[in-house]
Amino acid sequence: MALLSAQNIHKNFGQLEVLKGIDLEVQAGEVICLIGASGSGKSTFLRCLNYLELPTDGIINYQGTPIDPKVTNLNQVRSSMGMVFQHFNLFPHMSVLENIIEAPIKVQKIKRSEAIQIANRLLEKVGLSDKAKEYPARLSGGQKQRVAIARALAMDPKLMLFDEPTSALDPETVESVLNVMKQLVNDGMTMIIVTHEISFARAVADRICFLHEGKILEEGSPCELLDSPKNARTQEFLKSVIA
Amino acid sequence: MPNIQHLLDVFLKSMPLFLKGALLTLELSATSLLIGLVIGLFFAFLSLSKSAVLKAISTFYITIVRGTPLIVQIFVLYFGLTDLIKMSSFMAATLALAFHNGAYISEIFRGAIQSIDHGQYEAAKSLGMNNLLTYKRIILPQAFLRAIPSLGNQFIIALKDSSLAAFISMDELFNIATTQGSNNFDQMTYLVIVAFYYLLMVMILSFLVGKVETKLKKSGAT
Ligand SMILES: Nc1ncnc2c1ncn2[C@@H]1O[C@H](COP(=O)(O)OP(=O)(O)O)[C@@H](O)[C@H]1O
Ligand SMILES: [Mg+2]
Repeated sequence: MALLSAQNIHKNFGQLEVLKGIDLEVQAGEVICLIGASGSGKSTFLRCLNYLELPTDGIINYQGTPIDPKVTNLNQVRSSMGMVFQHFNLFPHMSVLENIIEAPIKVQKIKRSEAIQIANRLLEKVGLSDKAKEYPARLSGGQKQRVAIARALAMDPKLMLFDEPTSALDPETVESVLNVMKQLVNDGMTMIIVTHEISFARAVADRICFLHEGKILEEGSPCELLDSPKNARTQEFLKSVIA
Repeated sequence: MPNIQHLLDVFLKSMPLFLKGALLTLELSATSLLIGLVIGLFFAFLSLSKSAVLKAISTFYITIVRGTPLIVQIFVLYFGLTDLIKMSSFMAATLALAFHNGAYISEIFRGAIQSIDHGQYEAAKSLGMNNLLTYKRIILPQAFLRAIPSLGNQFIIALKDSSLAAFISMDELFNIATTQGSNNFDQMTYLVIVAFYYLLMVMILSFLVGKVETKLKKSGAT
């Protein structure tokens, strides 16, 4: 059974129809990359999956049960889906360590000492053990994003959502973030990644979906979609990003 | 103008009295500011709520405070309150000043809360935090840090405004100055002296606020 399945997801902002019926199934351990032009609805779709946006229509099944915002405890759902944002959204008034232990302690009610242990292990994993006491303002973009990843991982998520995690980074720090994400892939984490890094997508994705104007126009393995795209729009888009 | 020698003599002689008054002035402004913080936070939430009624209540309160002289507010609250319940003039003055400062503080808090990036709410939500946790742990601490310079400013204003409590016979700084001035037929000397005390307190406060501000900037916590 799929870990998550989204069926016929629609989203309108007032008159604007942003998502026009998206279907996606994600198996545990799968890595899916979403690509598409700016404004095609990638972020909106990702944000519908953890209900940061309320879909106008459609059903999301997660861990075998349909999510119904009137019945389901959305906070509980969200706490088991990590999300990494383009602009990091670290808590600036907290140190790196405090950023990571906040939700485990306050949401999962884990003991502080235990949370710190988890955080230290994760900081080591993302290569930032020496930054535990720093405040986010003192970190580079790449370091911030790795902290953000550690913060999401601290909740022991079943699924990680990444929304253009490297788009706001200086080129020289992009690699450090992609390397951490590759490690996660090797660990078998289930991931949905919105990205413009085509070579990264080729390396890690089990499946790539091309979004266009609120629909998945084409999907397939990296080879299928990147090397022999069938749809003219996909071809056009790939030409524009690879050039 | 009084001559300098005379001014110094009176200054030294009256120091114990004025220091007592200064202490009361500080107590009065600090207490009213603390209560004002609670009132301010409450009305900031009302004005940020989705309910039109709650918003209107907050707007009404702020309009009244801004649109009427503080001395009128103090008299109305003093005579109104002491009529209803027995209370000291300190209590009445504190409540009146708190009522007044609360309106300005609510505007400071509202601005500070609104200035917090939307991404902060989303990050908190995405970690499974509910609204209460999000505000308590993420939004309000940041908003409060951001509000500190304006709150410091409001404290300085409150300190000076507290002189109006003299009119409901509080023995704070200004009252001491006018009483002593008329008792000794020497208004100007005592007014210059009381001005000095206010100025000194305001300068110390400004210095402290500035210190905190640089420290916050340096830590990058806001
Ligand atoms: N909160 C919102 N209110 C109104 N329009 C929005 C909102 N969020 C996104 N949109 C619109 O939805 C469309 C898709 O946006 P988005 O999902 O961010 O695209 P992408 O991530 O693919 O660049 C855009 O036209 C954008 O302006
Ligand atoms: Mg986007």
